[in-house]
Amino acid sequence: MKPGILTTLRPYFLPALVLAVTWLVIASITPTFRGAASIFSVLEGFSLVGLVALGLAATIIAGEFDLSVGSMAAVAAVIAVLCEGAGLVGAVLIATLAGAALGAIQGTLIGRLGINSLVFTIGTLIFLRGITYILSDSAPIMIDAYEITDPLLERYGIFSLSSLTALVMFAIVGLFLTYTRWGREIFAIGGARNEAIAAGVPVVRPMAIAFALSAGCASLAGALAAMRGGSAAPQNYEDLLLSGAAAALLGGISLYGGRGTVFNVALGVAVLSVVGAGLAARGSTASLVQLVTGVLLLTVITIEFLAGRLRLEDTVFAGLTGRRARGSAGAGS
Amino acid sequence: MSEPSGSVTAGMSPTLQQADKPNRPDWLPMALVIGLTVVAIVIAVAVTPKFLTVDNIRAILRNAAIVGIVAVSMTPITLSGNFVSLGISQSAMAAMVSFVALVGTGMPQVFAIVLVIAGLVAVGVLQGAVVAAGLNPVITTLAAGAIIFGVVSEVSGGGIVRAGDAPLSWGGSTVAGIPIEVLVFLIVTIAVTLLMSRTVTGRETTLVGANRPTAEVSGISFTRVTIVAFAIFSVGLAIAGILNGAAFGQATAKSFPDLTIDSIAALLVGGTAIAGGQGSPLRSAGGAILIAVISNMMVLNDFSTGGRLAVQGGVVVIVVVVLDLMRRGAFRR
Repeated sequence: MKPGILTTLRPYFLPALVLAVTWLVIASITPTFRGAASIFSVLEGFSLVGLVALGLAATIIAGEFDLSVGSMAAVAAVIAVLCEGAGLVGAVLIATLAGAALGAIQGTLIGRLGINSLVFTIGTLIFLRGITYILSDSAPIMIDAYEITDPLLERYGIFSLSSLTALVMFAIVGLFLTYTRWGREIFAIGGARNEAIAAGVPVVRPMAIAFALSAGCASLAGALAAMRGGSAAPQNYEDLLLSGAAAALLGGISLYGGRGTVFNVALGVAVLSVVGAGLAARGSTASLVQLVTGVLLLTVITIEFLAGRLRLEDTVFAGLTGRRARGSAGAGS
Repeated sequence: MSEPSGSVTAGMSPTLQQADKPNRPDWLPMALVIGLTVVAIVIAVAVTPKFLTVDNIRAILRNAAIVGIVAVSMTPITLSGNFVSLGISQSAMAAMVSFVALVGTGMPQVFAIVLVIAGLVAVGVLQGAVVAAGLNPVITTLAAGAIIFGVVSEVSGGGIVRAGDAPLSWGGSTVAGIPIEVLVFLIVTIAVTLLMSRTVTGRETTLVGANRPTAEVSGISFTRVTIVAFAIFSVGLAIAGILNGAAFGQATAKSFPDLTIDSIAALLVGGTAIAGGQGSPLRSAGGAILIAVISNMMVLNDFSTGGRLAVQGGVVVIVVVVLDLMRRGAFRR
């Protein structure tokens, strides 16, 4: 049976609705949050929280969870500043590749050992934080050659170089996950791991790739932020896990693994970005943003859970109503 | 979605949904923790003669106490198969801030203590009920933590809350040479250990974590067990917050920054299995002491912050991997 356009778009209804409502509410209570400037600030959110959410989504789709993204971003930020001699692109590239390599090692170990990723990444979270302090000598470090970061501060209409980089990354990861065999394997081991293994899907490769993506994206986010601000501090980015996970889940990446696309992540990031940028424009505190993030996250996982319950009944009554059960749509391929 | 009943393990590795929780001699992991602690102490004494002084041992136990209290009281949650809380810092901070604030209003301290414990238990039971309904515990507690942090920061205005001239000197006192928090750590460890091993609810908790379908068929309520576990945890969080509130006489919304990670690390290093069914509060106490011994040793030898964190993270990674391999290795035999 060919899925209709409505079936294809179905996973985006809820997050798109949440985005529309949030935008309307924020825009109506915040007079300064209008027009191109507001779109620019929402897109800026993609370069930090967005990239972290994108990477985390890969691990959630694989049925795992990477707690170490905050520390990973902090390490990469410090590495980027230390490598300023390589120029802007060079520094960001070195930091990102270093992070991705660490992530690939982490993923390989998790896959090979068959250990729970929560358990493993809580250790690497502490370890990488330690490395960050060692590399930065326990103090904030600055870029000496300020002029190399200038391109990041330019605005191109509603874009900046960092938001463009993030969007390109979204496109690359999206195409990779959807259209390549290695990308599909990540869905397969997340959707139904035992069945995937029985069908001959390897576990270690998709695991290494998923964790390399999550570490690489977090590193790119940290490196871009460090170059934009001209400095990196060893204690930074502890809250990135909350906002990254919230964005991915708000957008509709399924906590049950195996389901979700980069469009889901993008919608979720946009919601958080609107909340963050809108409340900041009102002069609200960061803690209020956290409060709203927490409420939104709890609401969305509740809805996902209830929807899962409903789908289950769908399955039971599928024969009676003649409707196709959606319970297993989207897993693997 | 491989488990249509809205599994609580959703989103986590399917490997931990499998029955890798055999009934085996429990002494292996405990022996590892005790062995490692002994090795750490022997090394410490060899390099640092002043390690085994009464003052230093008191310092180690004092450092282990708060993390230990939280890790011990979180163990029932992990044992019941509900993983860990990612909102520990925020709840303990809420207890600390509200205790200090209540005492600051001139309320008798006993009332303040009772009120803080009751408040924390209410918030914890609410989270427990949500988790028992089938929502993912890790994400639920992450979201709840963000909400609690947001609310406390907004209410306290982000500033320092002081207890005024209330007599809080007991916070830093000692009983027969033993610091009060160490004494409380001991009492909490004994109490939770007895609760888990000598009461019906305690045994049911382990059973639900070890094999939920069987436990439910035998008439054990997952909901009740989960809610009781969250209630015990909340009492521990309240105690940790009150102890620190009494010790410092002031608090901010940023108190306890590292408590979440440190207590999860202590619990895991102690050898309680993340998937539940295996472990004990006593082991979590051992994990907290082991980590405190190692940190103390590094402090005495002038390790930098980064060096300490890196070693601590490395120890966590290695210990959890070895424990995991031991668990499954013994299972195959």
